[in-house]
Amino acid sequence: MTKTPVIEVDRLDVRYGDFHAVKDLSFQVRHGELYALLGTNGAGKTSTLEVIEGHRKPTSGTVRVFGHSPEDRRAVRPRMGIMLQESGFSPDLTVRESIRLIGSLSGRSDEVGRVLGIVSLTEKAGTKVSQLSGGEKRRLDFATAVFGAPELIFLDEPTTGLDIQSRDALWDAVDRLREQGATIVLTTHYLEEAQQRADRIGLMHRGTFHREGTVTELTRTLPAVIRFALPEAATPPLHAARGSNGSFLVETFELQKDLHLLLGWAHDHDVELNELQAGPTRLDDVFRAIGTA
Amino acid sequence: MLSIALSELVQIFRNRLVLVNSIIMPAAVSAFFIYRHEVFASVASLGYIAAVVMFTVGAFGLYTSAVTTLAARRQNLFLKRLRSTAAPDTGILAGLLLPVTALALVQVSVILIVLAAVASQPANVFLLVAAVLAMMAMMIGLGLATAGLTNSPEHAQVTTLPVSLGVIAVTSWVGISGTEELTLLKRLLPGGAATELVLNAWNGGVALGESLVLLAPTLSWVVVAVALASRLFRWEPRR
Repeated sequence: MTKTPVIEVDRLDVRYGDFHAVKDLSFQVRHGELYALLGTNGAGKTSTLEVIEGHRKPTSGTVRVFGHSPEDRRAVRPRMGIMLQESGFSPDLTVRESIRLIGSLSGRSDEVGRVLGIVSLTEKAGTKVSQLSGGEKRRLDFATAVFGAPELIFLDEPTTGLDIQSRDALWDAVDRLREQGATIVLTTHYLEEAQQRADRIGLMHRGTFHREGTVTELTRTLPAVIRFALPEAATPPLHAARGSNGSFLVETFELQKDLHLLLGWAHDHDVELNELQAGPTRLDDVFRAIGTA
Repeated sequence: MLSIALSELVQIFRNRLVLVNSIIMPAAVSAFFIYRHEVFASVASLGYIAAVVMFTVGAFGLYTSAVTTLAARRQNLFLKRLRSTAAPDTGILAGLLLPVTALALVQVSVILIVLAAVASQPANVFLLVAAVLAMMAMMIGLGLATAGLTNSPEHAQVTTLPVSLGVIAVTSWVGISGTEELTLLKRLLPGGAATELVLNAWNGGVALGESLVLLAPTLSWVVVAVALASRLFRWEPRR
């Protein structure tokens, strides 16, 4: 991963009549990184992506992709693969025909058989798109995005509707593309995927960034949580909120230290910590914090 | 563009409804007119039969098919998919419309050749070719404009009716009553001038220069339709 920006968004504004979908948004996506654009419903993610992909003109502001306007298809699209959120295939074409058609228009070259293999659709090559399941259509969508191994790949809700094996296969394919230097822009509602894989995250709310940074940077402003239950007579050594049925909740910015203290106390006093759960702050918690902000 | 056109052709031949609407139905109507050409020629002229079969193919085989194709491809986001590639917008539209245009051109050509074979040959083939090409350009332009107002293939059954029935009505009106009266109105209506051009080309008796002027109203409709299309055409469904 290098610092060279592949995508540069500067003071982007998108309006639909009176509705201000994206407000004064600026960010960069660097070469080789996996950048996750996340947000609440209606946050402006899709509008932002559509401008970056060249599907929509901004109301104001500038967007550059590989140094070009995203609307300059001839310059940009051969270097870019797009996995749309919705299928968008012709139902009367077969899987092979669909990949061949979109591949031939991508400005890149590849072998249809190889791409079919990546998404495990080789056996469905002669099947009409109308006869595919939702998950198979998502895999077909991914296949057209990675045809010819583009340098920049947009993955819009890539794993929605996929079973666990297909998800793993898709992420394996993404990992291989990243090893070759591909830059990935991801939007997803599966926050654990972003938490595990994103180098940086742009967290949108009401048309602009609520926060931007690495997972660690985003989560460190919120405390981690330790949950446990104790027998009635026992009192924990930490400041803990008491819940029902003897349960306790500890919020801490020093998870390891406090957990060590709690476990030592339980050992020394021969107390069993029932239903013990401890974990770092998750993106889910950051999202919930947006909702209550 | 050619890869899009090829895939469209494949889809036309895989979709029976499109096949019937765009090829079989216009061919059947045309076959009826040619079979009964003596009756229709006695009411109007052979030029009228040529004009009415030309516009039947133009209205149903070309215009309606173009609107239905574009609406269907937009509804299932195939247009957005194509726009996610490096293909330019003009190349995408040309690729999508090339098969229906080529099929309509072949149909009109075959039908008019059959009419010439069973009845009599046109007086001026050049004028006839000019009329056919002008008519096709007008119907494609109107198709692009109408597609902007059409949300789905089902909706196309309604939105295409005014133009489809309108041009066939104008053709019959001009073809049967001629343009001696209400000349300007008949020539300015969509299909009116093209019909008169076909009448002149098939029946003869009109100077070439006088006939060529009739291309102007039809080509003006092309300009109007393309201008409308540039304002109305949408690549994605309404949100």
